[in-house]
Amino acid sequence: MDIEKIIKAYDNPDKLINLIKEITPTDRKIKIMNVCGSHEHTITFSGMRSILPDNIELIPGPGCPVCVCSESDIINAINLSKREDTILVTYGDMLRVPTGIGSIRTEGKNYKMVSAPHEITKIAQQNPDKNVVFFSIGFETTTAPTAAFLEIGVPKNVTVLTSQKLTPEIMDILVEDTEIGIDAFIAPGHVSAIVGANAWKKFPEKHKIPTVVAGFEPENLLLAIAVIILQLVNKKPSLENVYRGVVKNEGNRKALELIYKYFEKTDVNWRGIGYIPNSGLDFKEEFGILDARKRFELPQIEEKKIRDCICDKIILGKAYPSECKLFGKACTPGNPKGPCMVSGEGACNIWYRARKSQQGV
Amino acid sequence: MCVGVPMKITEINYPMAVAEAKGVKRNVNLMLIPEDEIKVGDFVMVHVGSAIEVISEKAADEIWEALDEVLALMDEREESGNA
Ligand code: SF4
Repeated sequence: MDIEKIIKAYDNPDKLINLIKEITPTDRKIKIMNVCGSHEHTITFSGMRSILPDNIELIPGPGCPVCVCSESDIINAINLSKREDTILVTYGDMLRVPTGIGSIRTEGKNYKMVSAPHEITKIAQQNPDKNVVFFSIGFETTTAPTAAFLEIGVPKNVTVLTSQKLTPEIMDILVEDTEIGIDAFIAPGHVSAIVGANAWKKFPEKHKIPTVVAGFEPENLLLAIAVIILQLVNKKPSLENVYRGVVKNEGNRKALELIYKYFEKTDVNWRGIGYIPNSGLDFKEEFGILDARKRFELPQIEEKKIRDCICDKIILGKAYPSECKLFGKACTPGNPKGPCMVSGEGACNIWYRARKSQQGV
Repeated sequence: MCVGVPMKITEINYPMAVAEAKGVKRNVNLMLIPEDEIKVGDFVMVHVGSAIEVISEKAADEIWEALDEVLALMDEREESGNA
């Protein structure tokens, strides 16, 4: 398929929308999953769902890193912050994620927010008699910066509680789930900048699912959707990359080299989904000295379901936020009951903010 | 947290650098980019303080344009929502 030709012929959103309307078969549902908070954000705020044909379903998948962070890790982080000799450091969104015992903000004691890992060095230097634990969560886009931080060299009092997850691996599981029945994937742009567009090759090749790497611009997403529909119509699933200004086929070699210098794949728990083999990263044995889990002998804590919260279904594309009975009532961004309402990448949070404006509430 | 922004490198003291976008300067870790592949004046995509990829000025402009568009959409919707 010649993407360049499509880009030239359909050089604005209206033309792309018309093309999608023209070519979309009307006799069946077409479920397209995104796994990136920024994609969901653009889709929801641009009102794309109401513009496209009704039978195209744009499903938000597990693209919100704080939503899938395991409850056990968050509770361990809360407990670490209660120690007199310790300062817990993490990204702002993580502070508000609810667990069965509350959030870091409500239950924690000594914690600080950072917006970049290198800010931790200063905190550690200013507090030489404290253990500074970096709670490092997220997908490849935050794992690579953690590896870059470690590579620069960290003060002796810094350790890392890793809760890092791998995106292609979770998509591999979702694609097998017949209840969701995914017809195509929009692959995340910036994750792909690290892992490379080629990391998604197995989806069209093995699973016969059209897969398009896209940025978060409305036009770029419409282009991705048009390409997906064309592939479905022609029954020729393939991998395409419409975010070539940022994503290379082979990804960022140095970033991958550094990630796998410090970490190795391991089975991890995705909140609401469960343990998935080799879908996360943990320290390699030789870097055990940096590993907060080892240093503080952190236990595995059992996950408790938050009553009435259906985040687990939402991140699997099996329900929309509006189907939750707490949505917009007991659960709002100001008072999140579940993890999907916390960050600007969570489906409930995005839907709440977009809906609120539509309704003029 | 996962939102990346394009920034322009204004100073390099490898592996750290100073980068700028919209008049705001930030320290940026360049460790994910080989030293001989980055120079002052280049544009990079920055995620949580690390440059994850070198991009062209054209790509940086396009992404900023889209970011502005998405942010404006959000403001518009939220403002009308709060009205
Ligand atoms: S609205 Fe709140 S309680 Fe309901 S699924 Fe979303 S995060 Fe969970």
